[in-house]
Amino acid sequence: MIAAAFARLRGWEGLLLALLVVIVVVNMAHSPYYLGVGNIINLFQLEIEKIIVALMMTLIIINGEIDLSVASVMGMSACVMAWSFRAGVPLPWAMLAAMASGVAAGLINGFWIAYVGLPSLAVTLAGLIGYRGVARILVQDRAIGDYPGWFNALGQQGLVGPLTLSIIIFLAMFAVLGLVLHGAALGRLVYVIGNNLQAARYSGVRVRRVKMTLFVASAVVAALAGLLYAARLGSVRGDMAQGFELDIITIVLLGGVSIFGGSGNLLGVGLSILVILNLRNGMGLADITGNTQTSVIGALLILSVLAPNIAQAIHIRWKGRET
Amino acid sequence: MEGAAVDRRSDAPAVNAPMLNLRDITKRFGATQALEGVSLTLRAGRVHALLGENGAGKSTLIKIMTGVHQPDHGEMLLAGRPLRLASAAEAQRHGIAAIYQEPLLFPDLNVAENIFISHQDRGAVTNWRQMFRRAEEILASLGVALDVRSPARGLTLAAQQSVEIAKAISLNVRVLIMDEPTASLSSHEVAQLFKLVRDLREKDVAILFVSHRMEEVFEIADDVTVFRDGRLISTRPRAEVTPQRAIADMVGREMGLLQPRSPAKLGEKLLSVRGLGRDGAFEDVSFDLRRGEVLGFAGLIGAGRTDVGLALFGIEPATSGQIVLDGRAVTIRSPRQAMALGIAYSSEDRRQLGLSLPMSIATNITLPVLSRYLNWLGLVRTGMERATAEAFRRRLAIRTPSVDIAVSKLSGGNQQKVMLSKWLNTHPALLILDEPTRGIDVGAKAEVHAIIGELAAEGIGIIMISSDLPEVLAMSDRVLVMREGRQMAVLDRDGADQESVMAAAMGQSTARQPSGAEA
Repeated sequence: MIAAAFARLRGWEGLLLALLVVIVVVNMAHSPYYLGVGNIINLFQLEIEKIIVALMMTLIIINGEIDLSVASVMGMSACVMAWSFRAGVPLPWAMLAAMASGVAAGLINGFWIAYVGLPSLAVTLAGLIGYRGVARILVQDRAIGDYPGWFNALGQQGLVGPLTLSIIIFLAMFAVLGLVLHGAALGRLVYVIGNNLQAARYSGVRVRRVKMTLFVASAVVAALAGLLYAARLGSVRGDMAQGFELDIITIVLLGGVSIFGGSGNLLGVGLSILVILNLRNGMGLADITGNTQTSVIGALLILSVLAPNIAQAIHIRWKGRET
Repeated sequence: MEGAAVDRRSDAPAVNAPMLNLRDITKRFGATQALEGVSLTLRAGRVHALLGENGAGKSTLIKIMTGVHQPDHGEMLLAGRPLRLASAAEAQRHGIAAIYQEPLLFPDLNVAENIFISHQDRGAVTNWRQMFRRAEEILASLGVALDVRSPARGLTLAAQQSVEIAKAISLNVRVLIMDEPTASLSSHEVAQLFKLVRDLREKDVAILFVSHRMEEVFEIADDVTVFRDGRLISTRPRAEVTPQRAIADMVGREMGLLQPRSPAKLGEKLLSVRGLGRDGAFEDVSFDLRRGEVLGFAGLIGAGRTDVGLALFGIEPATSGQIVLDGRAVTIRSPRQAMALGIAYSSEDRRQLGLSLPMSIATNITLPVLSRYLNWLGLVRTGMERATAEAFRRRLAIRTPSVDIAVSKLSGGNQQKVMLSKWLNTHPALLILDEPTRGIDVGAKAEVHAIIGELAAEGIGIIMISSDLPEVLAMSDRVLVMREGRQMAVLDRDGADQESVMAAAMGQSTARQPSGAEA
């Protein structure tokens, strides 16, 4: 067990952990309040919807697929809620309608990918455009606000101590998905299919059902994240969450999940989330502009793709010296 | 280019002069001796047929002649001059071309472009008019009527073969290798192709013709060479060979270490298949299988044996015929359904289809029946999983330090045992083994054979698909022989020998009538 943990630390997760420590130490030097509860909560809150969706995206990518439509589903969900609410539907029912739109989007994606066999890249790219279109038709460019106070409070105020509902959902999902991915039958099948879809099929694995489950879950989580985002902002627009899908995928890949499927784990993605949150926050403290921040994260992403190869080269050299 | 053409004309070979000499060619791939001391002469204006079972070394020889592989030892002479080929492009420059069963055309380029695809001396600007004219000339010289401006997409296979041959002629072909060119052609198209081959022979091209169809070999060939296990067994003029003699040369191998399995006591009828077929793959396959029986499926690669297995396992469901299992008519549409009926299929392709290589031994073994290993929360009970894997590790003597290591780290033989474990763990009544000993060493092979014998003795009905003829004969109670998607014969243990099975696999009529499905 300990040996396995060490082996893992020598790999990409170890690198992320080291990076995280460096970033946190530098940030603490900048600001003595850095590790204060308030700042940490704030740190999470700024990107909370993205990191919630990233957890589900981890399963999708390990399964060898991709879901580009998540940000559009977030926008659509929020817009369905806003539109229904403005039309006089009580807010709880409007939220339910928003979640139903997420289920529908997931079923559409899953149908074309799992049962028709189209590539998820193409299907969810179409979804990215289509669901965004629905959002824009419903709400257009005028913001819809004036929600009941309890709704805004849900997005902005601590529910359990300082923890907001979003953060609680994130933590719960991290625990549950960690258990599913690394302990449950579904997680096992996610890896097997991601490794070798044909071998899974030849073993009698219900490949279609697994893929359908994942895409519906992904869209439902995105729809929920859209509502949380609306609650945090207090208003909804048609272009809400636009472009988030790339940040979300970046988080997952930086966490050491292979874009080809079959490998990666939730711990790596958790570390990747912490690295990105702290890096952005730290660069903000150091007055580095948003564009530069994005470039730095881009460079990190390239490093994450190169790292396994570099690590392997070093490992082979090291072994060569021993013998 | 000009100079080369003139040069060729000046030393144009006399009829039947040696064109390509191979001397003592030897090639190893790892532990496999693919070719050993092969010496072969192809003569101008003669069609030389090459016969041999799958794995006899024909493909390796073709790859050496076309520069894809380089021999470990030995030399090649082209028209008397030493020849070293570093690449396929170099072979083409020397006038050595090959065409294959599936033509390798670019579907979106037109016929003329396909013909001249290997000419890289067209310059910066293509002279289309000249290219079309020359393409038409070449096709006309072949007596083929094709629109050189139309795209290759949509041409019939026979037309595509003609384009391949035109391509070879455009390269001033001196040696043409034809690797099973007729396998996908109708008999009318074969006749057309043979006319082209005869024309090329008139033009003093040396032709190597590889085919599994005995009647074609004896129709077109001037010389017949037989390969077996990487060695050249015989080369004779056609007039001195009979099909029976050629088959005897192909299979005349010692049975080696293989002990015939002592037949188990047969139980009641387990499976009855009548007129089974899948469009485009196989048709009209009928047989019975009893509990404890090993039914061997023999035939050449591509004969449709695996397709029958895939139909019974529901991966590629049958489109016609009946399957009766344990007295009940069943239709099998998915692997899940097949597994529920007690059918297991162990794939011929361990690495791509049979196993999930990066995952552990235990994970692979429990995969088809993972639901048995879940607790009330839906989590995998890893202890129970490991216990199962350990039990199989002992039972099948899987050599590994632990059942937790990745299957990719095991030898081929141990991977095969993991795959067997995986399917035995589903407690099958019918076990379909597709090439159960392909690519594993002799010791592991004997172990796998012993395991198959034990399973049959336990009353499992086994279908063993194998291209290893001695193995099929040693293990099977009966042998079903297939050829080109059709069932050719069902031979009893006493009636099956290497010659009779190979004769059926190659479409030679045997004295024995197919004993049919009635058992």
